Amino acid sequence: MQFFGGSEISPSPPAPTASGNNANMMYVFNRNGVCLLYREWNRPLRTLNPQQDHKLMFGLLFSLKSLTAKMDPTIAEKGNLGVPQLPGQGCSFHSFRTNTYKLSFMETPSGIKLILVTHPRTGDLRESLKYIYNLYVEYVVKNPLYSPGTPIRSELFNTSLDQYVRSIA
Amino acid sequence: MAPAGPRSGDAIFASVERVNAELFTLTYGAIVRQLLTDLEEVEEVNKQLDQMGYNIGVRLVDEFLAKSNVSRCVDFKETAEVIAKVGFKMFLGVTASVTNWDAEGTCCSIVLEDNPLVDFVELPDTCQGLYYCNVLSGVIRGALEMVSMKTEVTWARDMLRGDDAFELQVKLLKQVPEEYPYKDDE
Amino acid sequence: MIGVGKVKQYSNVLDKPLSKGKQEVSLSAFAFLFSELVQYNQTQVDNIAELERRLEDAGYSVGARVLELLCHRDKGNRRETRLLGILSFVHSTVWKVLFGKVADSLEKGTEHEDEYMISEKELLVNRFISIPKDMGTFNCGAFVAGIVRGVLDGAGFPAVVTAHFVPIEGQQRPRTTILIKFAEEVLKREARLG
Repeated sequence: MQFFGGSEISPSPPAPTASGNNANMMYVFNRNGVCLLYREWNRPLRTLNPQQDHKLMFGLLFSLKSLTAKMDPTIAEKGNLGVPQLPGQGCSFHSFRTNTYKLSFMETPSGIKLILVTHPRTGDLRESLKYIYNLYVEYVVKNPLYSPGTPIRSELFNTSLDQYVRSIA
Repeated sequence: MAPAGPRSGDAIFASVERVNAELFTLTYGAIVRQLLTDLEEVEEVNKQLDQMGYNIGVRLVDEFLAKSNVSRCVDFKETAEVIAKVGFKMFLGVTASVTNWDAEGTCCSIVLEDNPLVDFVELPDTCQGLYYCNVLSGVIRGALEMVSMKTEVTWARDMLRGDDAFELQVKLLKQVPEEYPYKDDE
Repeated sequence: MIGVGKVKQYSNVLDKPLSKGKQEVSLSAFAFLFSELVQYNQTQVDNIAELERRLEDAGYSVGARVLELLCHRDKGNRRETRLLGILSFVHSTVWKVLFGKVADSLEKGTEHEDEYMISEKELLVNRFISIPKDMGTFNCGAFVAGIVRGVLDGAGFPAVVTAHFVPIEGQQRPRTTILIKFAEEVLKREARLG
């Protein structure tokens, strides 16, 4: 999906560089809309408080999912717009691009939502999001001191995430 | 419908890190003993084991999804098969089978061929009401709830109580769609 | 089809042959079970010391049973009677059975005659852990310390056993050291045996 025209990106942020980190930020939500993780690498402009920001992002995804499923030309029977779906039901989108950023999205059947915002010219990040989901499983879910549904405070996860994101985006 | 994931957990079990089942069995035994001491009433212990299983299921489902590459769990029948064929194998290294489907396709039995929780276990007379493996029913309930299926899981047969197998009955109560979690004007 | 036929039935657990201990479960299955042990015990305590004590208790009952099992299976009911013998039994045999490897090191304390240390670069129970700052020096290794104490006690070597993180230079993750401080009687007996 592409918003705001074709490949002519303008005004364009600096092109991705080999060394720097071109990821802007990352969110992880659980199925209840709790923001388990917000990580920011490069986001100069901020006008919202964190709660509003998280809610807006979650709402954007929720609506987009519902819209993309509703517009699916390949499926005959589909519910009314706004009728809730099961995670993984129907079709799903995995990224969209604006002239200034690309948002990649993955949702698991357990309702975990991973959102990575990067430079608009970043390639397909679906495999990368799967990898990050695995990091989440290893360092968050299996941490005996982590209570599911609470914000992630794991050093181990944060450092591996930073390292990995630096290598991909 | 295309298969939603692998048909068997053998390959996954072979590829993941494993530990001696005895460490697992004995640790579980230590948990049960601790609960019997803390709670005294066998009925309370059953409840707590189920709750602990539920908590484990809530976590374990993500490991399961990440390692098995299952991308959706919408159909209950398919999901029950995946639990038995892939889930049990992948975590406990044992095979289970699904049987006794009711006409509506909302209730079935999962029968365990082997159960690493009960090695070395015999229920003493004072614990006859104990569902020693109650953690397992909780795990299934918790994991399914995370993929939007509300279920009721009960023991139909229990070898520690003299039956000829371990059999869990899994009943689908309802599938809960995802709701928008925030109120409009917060 | 159902597979029930494959389950051998024994009227009594004692009739069942003692397993050779070759069966395995996934490390995650253990990790999740252990997590729940920690989570449950967190609801039963007010402070970290108490939490460690309860994990140690749980470990103790595992240790006591591991000793029984290994004595029957591997040693024909022989038991170690000497200090170094039992220490190397813990460091090698017990570790291998429970954690799939011999412990990284076994050392004698330099300051105290009655202290020994078993160290592990990455102890199984600390593998996935991230300790929040407000939990200070908490160490899940208390469970393993309990196992060690259970084995030692069962074999007639009572000791105080504790788990500690020890930073390693140039490494992000500390190693875990299980510190064993033997009871006075043990050292006296050892001295008598010469």
